[in-house]
Amino acid sequence: MQTDNRTIVHLDLDTFFVSVERLMNSSLVGKPVIIGGTSDRGVVASCSYEARQFGVSSAMPMKMALNLCNDAIIIRGDMEQYSKYSRMVTDIIAEQAPVYEKASIDEHYLDITGMDRFFGSLKWTHELRQRIISQTGLPISLGLSVNKTVSKIATGEAKPNGEIQVEKQRVMPFLGPLSIRKIPMIGTKTFQLLRSMGVVNIHTLSMIPPEMMEKLMGKNGLDIWKKANGIDHTPVVPYSEQKSISTETTFEQDTIEVVRMREILSSMVEKIAFQMRKKGKLTGCVTVKIRYSNFDTHTLQKTIPYTSFDHVLTKIALELFDKLYQRRMLIRLIGVRFSHLVSGMQQLNLFDDTPEMINLYQAMDRIRLRFGAKAIRHAVSLMPGDAGGKAAANKQKLLYRELRDIDEL
Amino acid sequence: MKFIVSSNLLLKNLQSISGVLSSNNTLPILDDFLFEINEETLKITASDLETTMSVKILLTMSEEKGIVAIPAKILLDTLKTLPDIPVTFNINDDNFAVEMLAGEGKYKLSGHNGEEYPVTPVVEGGYSFNINSLTLAEAIAKTVFAAGNDELRPVMSGVYLEMSEDQTSFVATDAHKLVRYSRLDVKSDNEASIILPTKPLNQLKNILTHNDIEVKIEYNNKNAFFSFGNVHLVCKLIEGKYPNYTAVIPIDNPNKLHIERIPLLNSIKRVSIFANQSTHQIRFKISGKELVLSAEDIDYSNEARERLNCNFEGEDMEIGFNSKFLQEMLNNTGTEEVIIEMSQPNRAGLLIPVDEENQNVDILMLVMPVMLNN
Repeated sequence: MQTDNRTIVHLDLDTFFVSVERLMNSSLVGKPVIIGGTSDRGVVASCSYEARQFGVSSAMPMKMALNLCNDAIIIRGDMEQYSKYSRMVTDIIAEQAPVYEKASIDEHYLDITGMDRFFGSLKWTHELRQRIISQTGLPISLGLSVNKTVSKIATGEAKPNGEIQVEKQRVMPFLGPLSIRKIPMIGTKTFQLLRSMGVVNIHTLSMIPPEMMEKLMGKNGLDIWKKANGIDHTPVVPYSEQKSISTETTFEQDTIEVVRMREILSSMVEKIAFQMRKKGKLTGCVTVKIRYSNFDTHTLQKTIPYTSFDHVLTKIALELFDKLYQRRMLIRLIGVRFSHLVSGMQQLNLFDDTPEMINLYQAMDRIRLRFGAKAIRHAVSLMPGDAGGKAAANKQKLLYRELRDIDEL
Repeated sequence: MKFIVSSNLLLKNLQSISGVLSSNNTLPILDDFLFEINEETLKITASDLETTMSVKILLTMSEEKGIVAIPAKILLDTLKTLPDIPVTFNINDDNFAVEMLAGEGKYKLSGHNGEEYPVTPVVEGGYSFNINSLTLAEAIAKTVFAAGNDELRPVMSGVYLEMSEDQTSFVATDAHKLVRYSRLDVKSDNEASIILPTKPLNQLKNILTHNDIEVKIEYNNKNAFFSFGNVHLVCKLIEGKYPNYTAVIPIDNPNKLHIERIPLLNSIKRVSIFANQSTHQIRFKISGKELVLSAEDIDYSNEARERLNCNFEGEDMEIGFNSKFLQEMLNNTGTEEVIIEMSQPNRAGLLIPVDEENQNVDILMLVMPVMLNN
């Protein structure tokens, strides 16, 4: 594929979660807003520009964010709403663009190579952006350039609510003066390393010999160097079918309570098995993950005949958990993932699946579809010692990292 | 030790038992055929420990009695290329070196001590009955495909043989489909049931179809023995309790679908091309005199619908099946017409051949649907 003469657009919704909250509650406009978990271990998922002025940034622990900006309005967040709006944006893009890739809940890449012959790339993308703004009411920024990396950096510069075009000839002059932080791959560690070498802006980075970068950081070094030189051949991959579905839980306090963890695992399986049935999917592989308090992470998986039944999957997940949890050490996180998804319905079994049990599944799923996924549950997934659940939720203070789930949906 | 045998006769008999040989044996000597020479007869044995099969042939000439194990692959490969000529085997009794002389050729390979070959079990305190070879071959062919391969449920990986004074039934199931093939003309003196593994049954099926003879089946609580012509087969029985299959056969099935077999099979084949290629699920929608088959693969936007005329008694219904199961079953039926009997979309469907020619045969097939959520 020809990759050196492309036109790539990067569209990124500005402070997406906050914008959605503001659509639903206009009194939030102009105020510092933070979205994220409210427990001790919660992290900032998104924050408004007003909050950023105080130094709050996403992925920061919530406690630290509150210390920086005590007046901020904290919102727990509603993933269902966010996904809904995200899908609205995707639908508008899908209607217009020839090839698009949904990179995350609030980011899209478009390959519009060749469109300039008919419309003028900037004019076309500008109209697309205006259309998204007028139809959804969400602010969005865009970058238009020759590849994904430069487009993404351009979007970053365009924010909030702006657009920047970087033509082929202007790529290096555009990147040169920017801080190396702006390159998507460079995180805190790499930034500190390069800063300690006296590399501040992208121009300096691009002048370092690639061999030296490779020696310094291995293969990643070479990739970073290419990006600094505005080289990026990765194609825009059209939206692909979901490959897996997963959920995980970080405990408020690290725990060794095996009984409790098995209960949580059962309830997680119940939750995502229902999501799977709702979509008409079956899984062929179950993976269980645990993270010890020292951040050692272990996973174990098992291939199984295609199924979407809770009782089958719970048994396998618990079996894997028992095999996995061998060290008598505190656990920080547990998670479960179903992969090898295929579309289809549950094949019934002559000896194990009684009509009563099948009717029970169907009745429970009907109730869930009508009144929500948590309307009816197995007793084991309710918090022990409290049937109401609410007080228990406070007591146990679990942070479901639903963000991650939904990203994959 | 020395003997002479016709190359074609030897090859034909080796091939009839070579299916027993396994490619990953725990004992190296099981890669060999065991040759036992007793005057004019040669007994050749192949085994994978679970199943042991032997044939007896007449030799053109032999000197001394003896026993030796000869590597199977090299022997078969050589014989396959030879025309029909006498082959002379010279075996060194001390180091088991084998020398073959055929026409102008001379071939040497090293054999092994035949005394190290595992001992074939013999019948002890068992029962026996006779069955015609073609009947047995048909019974195996009609059932063995339905057996499962789940290591966690070994009993279902075999064919259940249920004998009584009135009839003999062969049953196989993998928990999704079930076949029961009963013969009213095969009887035994006592009631008993055994579970036979599929590997020896497939072996038997392959060689039984060639000849119309009586097969003597003997069994005890460990092994089953099949003897016919010059062939003898011993297999270990699968231990355990077979699931109570009669309890899952639905009795009251008010919805009956009469349909021609071949058109139905062809439609299922076509429609299932458009189904998801991992799950092969298709949908039956029956109303009045019409059966609509449909399938879709959302990932590739493939979709198919086909309408068939049928005769239907009962309430309109919609039911989903794995098309692979239906195809296997319909392929295994010989009649022109079949009846599919159903009760509810989440209960097993029965497939019954109409006008089975042989009055002594009773076939019942069962298939579990998939759970449709409407």
